[in-house]
Amino acid sequence: MKSILWSVCALFALGLAACSGENPNQSGAPAASASKPSIKIWWFQWDPATGLQELGREFESETGIAVEVQQIPLASYQEKVFLEFGGSRTSFDIVIGDSQWIGRGASSGLYVELTDWLPTVVDLATIHPRAAKYLCEYPEGSGRWYAAPCETDAVGLAYRKDWFEDPAERSAFQARFGRELTVPATYEEFRQVAEFFQRPDAKRYGCAMPSDRNYDGLTMGVQNLLWAFGGKWKDEASNKVVGHLDTQGTVDAIEFFKTLMKLGPNGCERLDYGQVLESFTNGSTAMILNYFAFFPGIQAQFGDKVGFAVVPSHEGRRVASLGGQGLSVSAKIPPEQQEHAKRFIAWFLQRRVQERWITKPAGFTANSAILASPEFRAKTPYNAPFADSVDAMRDFWNVPAFNKLLAVTQRYVGMAVDGEMPTAEALKKLALEKERILKEEGLL
Amino acid sequence: MNSRAHTGRGLAWALVGPTLALLIAFNIFPLVYNVVSSFTNAELIGGAWRSVGGANYARVFEDELFAGALRRTALFVVCAVAVELTLGFALALTLQRDFKGKQVVLTTLLVPMMLSPAVMGLYWNLVLNGNYGVVNQGLSALGFDPPQWLTDRDYKFWSILLIDVWMWTPFMMLIALAGLNSIPASIYEAAQIDRASRWKVFTRITLPMSAPVLGLAVLFRATDALKQFDLVMAVTGPNDAATQTLSTLLYQVVFRDGSVGLGAAFSCVILVLVIALATVFTRYIDRVQSRDVSA
Repeated sequence: MKSILWSVCALFALGLAACSGENPNQSGAPAASASKPSIKIWWFQWDPATGLQELGREFESETGIAVEVQQIPLASYQEKVFLEFGGSRTSFDIVIGDSQWIGRGASSGLYVELTDWLPTVVDLATIHPRAAKYLCEYPEGSGRWYAAPCETDAVGLAYRKDWFEDPAERSAFQARFGRELTVPATYEEFRQVAEFFQRPDAKRYGCAMPSDRNYDGLTMGVQNLLWAFGGKWKDEASNKVVGHLDTQGTVDAIEFFKTLMKLGPNGCERLDYGQVLESFTNGSTAMILNYFAFFPGIQAQFGDKVGFAVVPSHEGRRVASLGGQGLSVSAKIPPEQQEHAKRFIAWFLQRRVQERWITKPAGFTANSAILASPEFRAKTPYNAPFADSVDAMRDFWNVPAFNKLLAVTQRYVGMAVDGEMPTAEALKKLALEKERILKEEGLL
Repeated sequence: MNSRAHTGRGLAWALVGPTLALLIAFNIFPLVYNVVSSFTNAELIGGAWRSVGGANYARVFEDELFAGALRRTALFVVCAVAVELTLGFALALTLQRDFKGKQVVLTTLLVPMMLSPAVMGLYWNLVLNGNYGVVNQGLSALGFDPPQWLTDRDYKFWSILLIDVWMWTPFMMLIALAGLNSIPASIYEAAQIDRASRWKVFTRITLPMSAPVLGLAVLFRATDALKQFDLVMAVTGPNDAATQTLSTLLYQVVFRDGSVGLGAAFSCVILVLVIALATVFTRYIDRVQSRDVSA
């Protein structure tokens, strides 16, 4: 009996030792990494991240600090980043966070404040004011910086130039609508052109735009129209929502959006950014509204068969959903790592590096001088509309509770678009729900 | 004697101790932690917590989302279990007899059950895709106007249910088959001698004698369907008003909204519901089993 008892105890002790025992190789790892400084950047999985990794290698050769850009799938990016922030130390040194995260990052002490340091390494006047306001400062326009612009982006229009220039299509359009087939400047024109090209039997469709319910697709797709139609998410000064969101302008915008959902490929009422892109690159859709960062790939595939433009307007109002992300230094890393991270940011913001950045796939800058330069505007077919879109871009909420506001927006706007609830009723409920969240968070 | 008793107690602790430690570490502690969190305003990204009393529970019972998710989950459980039980039992009755190629048919039928629900969700996303999905391609070729299975608000919930039925009917079949095979052949022979009709044999012998096993299968499937998560996540995501179940609502609240305190309250209420349901089922099974023993 005793021997059994001893055997069990010995096995248990062995198990415990195996669980708690240090691997000599692991314990040696920090020493190895301490010899070569490095920084880790987290971004989601897309072309610009690959471009940034290439720039990182140039930074390493200049400074000796290695850069690793880890690409996380977009669908789980937000959760992964904020779960990291939930710990005492993040595994990334720099996070390239969505513009909407900045309020949360700044007010919860997750991002290092860069207000005093940033002007010492870059002339802030070189950063486009809209990029500064929405990507870098919190509160918006306060002059308190928590990020440096990395990827500046906005929604634009890509269209099949070859279809628009086809004489048969042009004369058919002229005969049907009594005007020339041109790149749509207004949403009415956009709908007309989409209606014209909508031919499901021939597997040809009018238009597609982000409408996915999983993260922020639908919100980003709808808000281009929302602002253009005179709607708004909130009162800018007071943050009040009731009486500002549930207005006729917003109802009109969503109702118009619903009509566009009938002029796209099957299932176009829930396309994520990649699927919108795919609907265009598979050659079936005449026009898409999507982020400029996707357009270089389209250009590479279609050459001069495609054209690019700013988003349409309505009654003279043109607003593009802001995309893009800023570089923020994690507050949950040691000071020496923060210094390495800041060194990378300072290096990245130099004009010579920004000029390299715009040569990378889908690398778009916030540098005002570069955006305004004739060389930049003429370099690609999408650069000029991109530069014009930066002047027209606006962002969704970026307060700390943005994720809750986004979730309810996606849900109620989704219900309105799907016809599960009348639009006006959905907006009233959404407004009340948003005010409840804002009150809970002390923002109202 | 004392020393022997002492050694025996030591051995008992040595054997039970590790399991007990694991149970406390991975079950009891998280449960207590969850209950405590449910009375706080804890957020996913950390920061100071403070007590909010029963405010989170008040939210749970006022929340339209919770009520909607509860209704949807209940509908899902009832429909999924009912259809799977009926189809599974019918398949088991068919496969009870020996025939050529039975093993091949049985193995083929069991394949969906052995695959990961997340993978199956992605797979069915392709199959039911409105544009290039094989189902709609087929329907179009036959001249039908194909529905948008995964995007139309009237279809998406039922599409997820269809996938679940496809996956889990084999499980019901397997359990039902085990139940049917456990009925002694002598009872059927006696019924035959008594010239009982096939319907009588089915209602008086087959059904009642396989009921305890079927009850167990219903319990397993109901508790599994109650936590439906993978398919909804893969097909529509956690924030779709037409398909949100209790588990995906919980995910949305905790991981997307970051409201750990509120999510903990949601999960406590769900836990109570699951325990209540499981108790009803186990009591039913106990009753049926004790009836069998006394018979």
